[in-house]
Amino acid sequence: MKKKIAWLCFAAPILFGSQITTTYAATPSDEDKKFEAYREAMADFNPGDFWIEDGEKLFHEKRGPKNVSLDGCDLGLGPGVVKGAYAQLPRYFKDTNRVETLEGRLLGCMVHQQGFNEEEITKPYYASLAEENGTKSDLVELVAYVAAQSNGQPYRVKLENAAEKNAYEMGKYAFYHRMGSMDLACASCHATPGLVLRGVHLPVMTDPATAGKVMTAFPAYVIKDANVRTWFWRNERCLLAMRMPFLKVNSDLDVALHLFQVMEASKTDTPIAVPGIKPRA
Amino acid sequence: MKNNLLNALSVALFATAGLYSAHLLAAGNPAAAGNGDTNITEEQFLKVAKESFPWATPEEFDERVKNDVTLAICNKTNGQPNAAETDVILKFEKSRMEYPKDGKLYGDWKKGQEWAEGAHGGRIGFADADDPAHPNGANCYACHAIDPNFPGAGNMGPSLTNYGKLRGQSEPMIKYTYEKIYDSKALVPCSLMPRYGGKGHLLTAEQVADITAFLLDPASPVNLPAKEAAK
Ligand code: HEC
Repeated sequence: MKKKIAWLCFAAPILFGSQITTTYAATPSDEDKKFEAYREAMADFNPGDFWIEDGEKLFHEKRGPKNVSLDGCDLGLGPGVVKGAYAQLPRYFKDTNRVETLEGRLLGCMVHQQGFNEEEITKPYYASLAEENGTKSDLVELVAYVAAQSNGQPYRVKLENAAEKNAYEMGKYAFYHRMGSMDLACASCHATPGLVLRGVHLPVMTDPATAGKVMTAFPAYVIKDANVRTWFWRNERCLLAMRMPFLKVNSDLDVALHLFQVMEASKTDTPIAVPGIKPRA
Repeated sequence: MKNNLLNALSVALFATAGLYSAHLLAAGNPAAAGNGDTNITEEQFLKVAKESFPWATPEEFDERVKNDVTLAICNKTNGQPNAAETDVILKFEKSRMEYPKDGKLYGDWKKGQEWAEGAHGGRIGFADADDPAHPNGANCYACHAIDPNFPGAGNMGPSLTNYGKLRGQSEPMIKYTYEKIYDSKALVPCSLMPRYGGKGHLLTAEQVADITAFLLDPASPVNLPAKEAAK
């Protein structure tokens, strides 16, 4: 299920230079400027492309105890339709009677159609962050592959029924809800322009232009981790910083936070361009 | 945010003169965030939050999400408690305030420097979670400039560089500084600043006293000119 990415572990510092991996060593502008130069140099080579290639194979391969491919997986546009699917998710699905993200929907198909064990896929499967960075998960590869099939399209997520409206409202409520040992809400850090946290500029996720720019780059290849990270993972990291536990993939809170933010991104015409590439996430 | 910083500063400035209370009512905090403008109820949210994380124990959930009196009011009022709610918060938070057993609110600034920089502590729910046996840090630089030689500070709180040089080391200043770190919400009801002391938060009373000394001590790098080499 989980593959080691040993080659990337040593390749990343060599390819990208160790200065990029030391998050707080320089002022943000210095570091981000250096990174911009790397991004240009790397325009033709994004290691995240390997996730997309591997995800494509995984998607069409017959796998799992039931030995079927994901060609029957309905991501909102009909069974097996991947083109444009990411641009309209999260959305409500009748069969599960839930609003689901791409990641959650794929997880559901792996479990219900292919017969994989959900716990096996979603439990924190590593003993350390180093081990996690060196692990490539099938689910993330699948998300990267399907997301890339919306490249060039802007997000066009809509709130068309009561379930979607409710999930959006829940996301908004959660975004502004202070909790955890640090008394913080997402909004404490991501709703006011000009904030800097330990040298890092904080994106205002309630601003459509920013949400559009940030979200169209996810899933992104994160150089610091030498791994591809999804939107779920990104939200989870901030929840961990708020001293909340790991978030469950496809949980109501995962869906709600994703939907709240992607509705801002959907107000823009910024095209999806994945995998993005980021110095850190 | 600007209001918030001004409030924080005015409280800090007036603290020495013993004028805290006049400013508390004006201490609403726009960046501290309420519930947004939704039709979701707190009960609905709590159900979702309970089911969306692998809580190790029900107590863990209660401590981290099921609000204490203070955050419940701050969330409900978008950080703008009215006079009665302000009273409730201040009473509750003052009752949480504790001091080191030896009564010294001014500890060891060198240790305080370490606690201020550290970001360890309180992360739960995975194999590599923070080891509770290792002392926690406060991650002060996330929000504040403090030691001018420290690279990459944040700006969510006011700069504390030269804190002791500007304010001196009087007893009321030591007490104010200690209490602000131990429980910011005992001074400003919905302060954006985390409460660091007490159950469910990151620091011991002794650590808070150490950070108090780090901010105030004339020998601490906080109150000395920046070193050339760091530039
Ligand atoms: C203490 C401040 C803080 C809080 C609270 C916080 N975040 Fe973050 N967030 C950050 C920092 C720091 C980054 C990293 C920015 C970077 O590296 O460019 C970040 C990054 C992000 C990103 C990725 C942005 C990008 O450009 O890639 C998203 C999305 C995000 N946060 C969402 C959330 C959500 C949702 C919550 C609430 C569950 C939240 N954050 C709570 C500080 C915070």
